[in-house]
Amino acid sequence: MKLLEINALTARYNAGDVLKGLDIEVSEGEIVALLGSNGAGKSTLLRCISGLVANVSGSIKFAGQELLGRKPESIVRMGVAHVPEGRRIFPGLTVRENIALGASNRRGVDRRGFAREVDEMFAFFPELKRLEHALGWKLSGGQLQMVAVARGLMAKPKLLLLDEPSLGLAPLIVQQVFRIVADIRARGVTVLLVEQNANMALSVADRGYVLETGSLLVSGPPSNLWNNAQVREAYLGGLAAAV
Amino acid sequence: MSLFLQLLFTGFGIGAIYAMVSLGFVLLIRAANVVNFAQGEFSMLGAYAMLILFAGLGVPYLLAFVLSVAVMAVFGMVFAGVAYWPLRHRGQLPVIISTIGASILLANAVLAAYGPSPQTLPGMFDNPGFEVGEVFMDSQYLLILAVAALLVLLQYLVFEKTMLGKKLQATSQDKEMASLLGIPVAVMVLITFAYSAAIGGIAGVLVAPILFVSTGLGSLISLKAFAANIIGGFGSIPGAILGGLALGIAETLGAAYISVPYKDAFGFAMLLIFLLLRPQGLFGERIAEKA
Ligand SMILES: Nc1ncnc2c1ncn2[C@@H]1O[C@H](COP(=O)(O)OP(=O)(O)OP(=O)(O)O)[C@@H](O)[C@H]1O
Ligand SMILES: [Mg+2]
Repeated sequence: MKLLEINALTARYNAGDVLKGLDIEVSEGEIVALLGSNGAGKSTLLRCISGLVANVSGSIKFAGQELLGRKPESIVRMGVAHVPEGRRIFPGLTVRENIALGASNRRGVDRRGFAREVDEMFAFFPELKRLEHALGWKLSGGQLQMVAVARGLMAKPKLLLLDEPSLGLAPLIVQQVFRIVADIRARGVTVLLVEQNANMALSVADRGYVLETGSLLVSGPPSNLWNNAQVREAYLGGLAAAV
Repeated sequence: MSLFLQLLFTGFGIGAIYAMVSLGFVLLIRAANVVNFAQGEFSMLGAYAMLILFAGLGVPYLLAFVLSVAVMAVFGMVFAGVAYWPLRHRGQLPVIISTIGASILLANAVLAAYGPSPQTLPGMFDNPGFEVGEVFMDSQYLLILAVAALLVLLQYLVFEKTMLGKKLQATSQDKEMASLLGIPVAVMVLITFAYSAAIGGIAGVLVAPILFVSTGLGSLISLKAFAANIIGGFGSIPGAILGGLALGIAETLGAAYISVPYKDAFGFAMLLIFLLLRPQGLFGERIAEKA
């Protein structure tokens, strides 16, 4: 079943069109990778889905319902969680508080329920447990990323938007993050994954799209993208060529 | 020595007023990025609301007090809708100008309605106070200190111990992220405006029996709150409280030991000294270190 259907999506900032008529689909249970170089418009696409971009046209349907025109608060209540670029952990709140706030989109969960769910997240990310009472601004990059993902999962989303979760992390931690992405899907969450690290992203993804300055260059299963010479050269880098 | 203790008591009382207004001021900076130059007008309007209800309509003191504060909370939301909301995406400067405009408008509206002659409001207690040792404890000052302490405690409990408090803090730290989590940012901002105006109104009603109620009360208190904030550390909540207390004490001691007519000047001299020697204030902002 199609969970997300994007049609003829155009987005503009003052400077001009950043997305130029995109068509993208994500089926329930998939991990879909969204690749592209700096400034291609990947983050903008996620921001459009979450309702953060004002100047958009086209259509974004989530589980059959139109998202364009809705506020971010209402979109996350429908089950779309966004772990944005830069992690955006609240610097003056503790790890536990940051994670707990991830459930703000759901009604009817009491304090005790929240506490139990945060503990479940600590079971999922054991490294975070000892940082429970540390303030956000004290965390390292890898720790911030885990808190950000945990906070996203607290929304109990049907669709999780992940923007460059591996950015700035040490290789070992990058591997861990991608294992977590696979685990998340195993929990029944559909994932739309933006990445610069194409190798890693395609190793966990079912399908991928490659964006170039706001337009779709190619799409398909990872093997197709690997084998596309243009893509390899432009986006997958030397490493991919060696694989 | 007894004079010094007496002055300290008075300074703390006045400082507690500054601290309350300053607290409202800092909460708006944090929650909405609004540097509100009409903060003192909240106190001025609170005092006039009390004047109308208590002196004008004869509502019992305590009830009139509670109603005045409720009126100010509602007024805070209206203020948000008019002076802040339409300009919220335009950056800080247009909002600052709008609050300056609002402050002039409010002071002049009250001037038109009430005229320039200062009004008086009685204190809450008939008993003027009592002696402890050689210090005279004025009942109104005691009330101010008690209410200020209660407010600080209440605010601490709400901000640190409740989910609402966490959502308010999240909103003040990163509005866009808060909205992505499903926190109703507009509601959080409205709550902050309501609270900020209410606490300003409380300070106004409490200080009215000590100062005269006049249309100039607002700008005087605004300046003091602003100074208290710089002294405490711009945008810092503990800084707002300590800055307010320090300002009140410095003014009172300066007036008594050096010169009464220059009372207000001591506060501003202190402000200048801080701007020159320690511009980050008593509490350099921790949040600013987020990198
Ligand atoms: N708020 C904004 N206002 C104006 N232009 C913007 C804004 N945000 C992004 N842009 C521009 O839109 C284009 C796409 O940016 P976007 O952040 O979506 O790219 P990206 O693919 O996520 O890049 P990166 O890999 O660097 O994160 C860029 O040219 C960028 O400069
Ligand atoms: Mg990006």
